[in-house]
Amino acid sequence: MTAEPSAETSGEVTFRVRRGEGAGDPGERFDRYRLGVRPRMTVLDALVALQSEQDPTLSYRYSCRVGMCGTCALRVNGRPRWACRTLLEGLGGSVTLEPLSNFPVVRDLAVDMGVFFEKMKRARAWLEPAEAAAQAPARLSPAGPERRRIEPHIECITCGICYASCSMVGHDPAFLGPAALNRAFTLVADSRDASRARRLLEVCGEHGAWRCHSQFNCTEACPKGISPTAAIQGLKRRALASGAKALVASLLRGTAPGS
Amino acid sequence: MESTHSTEPTARPPLWDLTAWRSMYPGMWAWVLQRVSALALIVLFPLHVMNPYVEWIRLTMLVLVVWHSMHGIKVILTDFGFPPKHQRKLLWALAAAGVVLFVWLVYLHKSLWRFLG
Repeated sequence: MTAEPSAETSGEVTFRVRRGEGAGDPGERFDRYRLGVRPRMTVLDALVALQSEQDPTLSYRYSCRVGMCGTCALRVNGRPRWACRTLLEGLGGSVTLEPLSNFPVVRDLAVDMGVFFEKMKRARAWLEPAEAAAQAPARLSPAGPERRRIEPHIECITCGICYASCSMVGHDPAFLGPAALNRAFTLVADSRDASRARRLLEVCGEHGAWRCHSQFNCTEACPKGISPTAAIQGLKRRALASGAKALVASLLRGTAPGS
Repeated sequence: MESTHSTEPTARPPLWDLTAWRSMYPGMWAWVLQRVSALALIVLFPLHVMNPYVEWIRLTMLVLVVWHSMHGIKVILTDFGFPPKHQRKLLWALAAAGVVLFVWLVYLHKSLWRFLG
C-alpha cells in the first residue's frame, strides 16, 4: 500500500453537492465536482478528498468514520444514508449529496440536530427507576419475554435518518418522530421504569404515536435495522389497552369516562 | 490538485422528473396511492350514483375500491401485530391478491360489461 491518496483511481465520479445555508438562502446552489475514485471508497472518503484537494469551504459533519456515532448522515441520491458506510461503487457516475430533510441546515451538508434531541427530551428518553430498582440491581433474563420485546429497539445511535425519512415529520413539525418514539417504547416496555403511565400519556398525544401512518419509511431507512414502526405499534397497543382499562373502571364506578 | 468546481441553481425538480420521487419506498407509495384512491372515489361516487351505467367510471371505481381495501387490510394487520420487518412481502402479497380479486369480480359480473362483448 502506498500513502499516495489518489495514486490509483478506478474511475471518475461527478458529485453534485447542495451548498448554502438552508431554506431561504438566496445563495443556495448545487456545486459540481469531479473526483478520481479508488476501489471501496465511501461517500465520506470522497467528501474528505473534495474538501482537502478542491474546496476547503465544503461543510459536513462526521466523527467516528466507522458507523458507530451516526453524525455523518446525509442524503445520497435522495435517500438518507451514512456517508461513512455508503460505498461509491453501485451509485453510478453521478452522485447527488444533500443535507438530511426535516432538519434546519447549518451550512452545506451539516444540519442542526437540536430539534431532534428536544423531541427525545419531550419523550422523556431516560430511565426513571422505581424505588426498588434504584436500590438493588434489577434482574432481567436475556431470554425473558420482556427483554426480547425491547431487544430489537435498543441499538439506536440517534443518527436522525429515520427522522429525515419520515413524511409525517415533514407534515407536522411537532410530531415526535420515529427515533424518540422508539426510545419511549423501550422504556414503556421496561418494568424497572416508574413513569411508564405518564410517559405513555405524553407520547400518545396528537403529536405522538397516533400521528404515525405506518408508511414504513423509517423501517426501510434505518441503517441499524431497527423498526421504529414496530415500536410505535407497541405504543399504540399499550395506549389502547390502558385507555380501555380506564374506561371500564370508570363505567364500573358509575362516573363519566375521563373524569 | 486542480479544482473541477462548477455551480448550478437548486430549483425544485418538476413533478414529472422521476428523480424527485426516488426517495420514496414501496410502503410510502402504497400509502400515497390509498390516499389518492380515497379522493378519487369521493369524486367518482356521486357520478356513479347519478348514472350507474358509465363503464369507465365503474371499472375505475372497482380498481380504486380493490386497492383501497387491500391497503386497508395491510394497515389493520399492522395494527394487530403483523411484523413490520415483513411489510414489503405483505404489500406484494396483497397487491397480487388485489389483481386476482379484480379479475374475479369482473368475471363474476361479465354480463354487465359491454367491453367483454
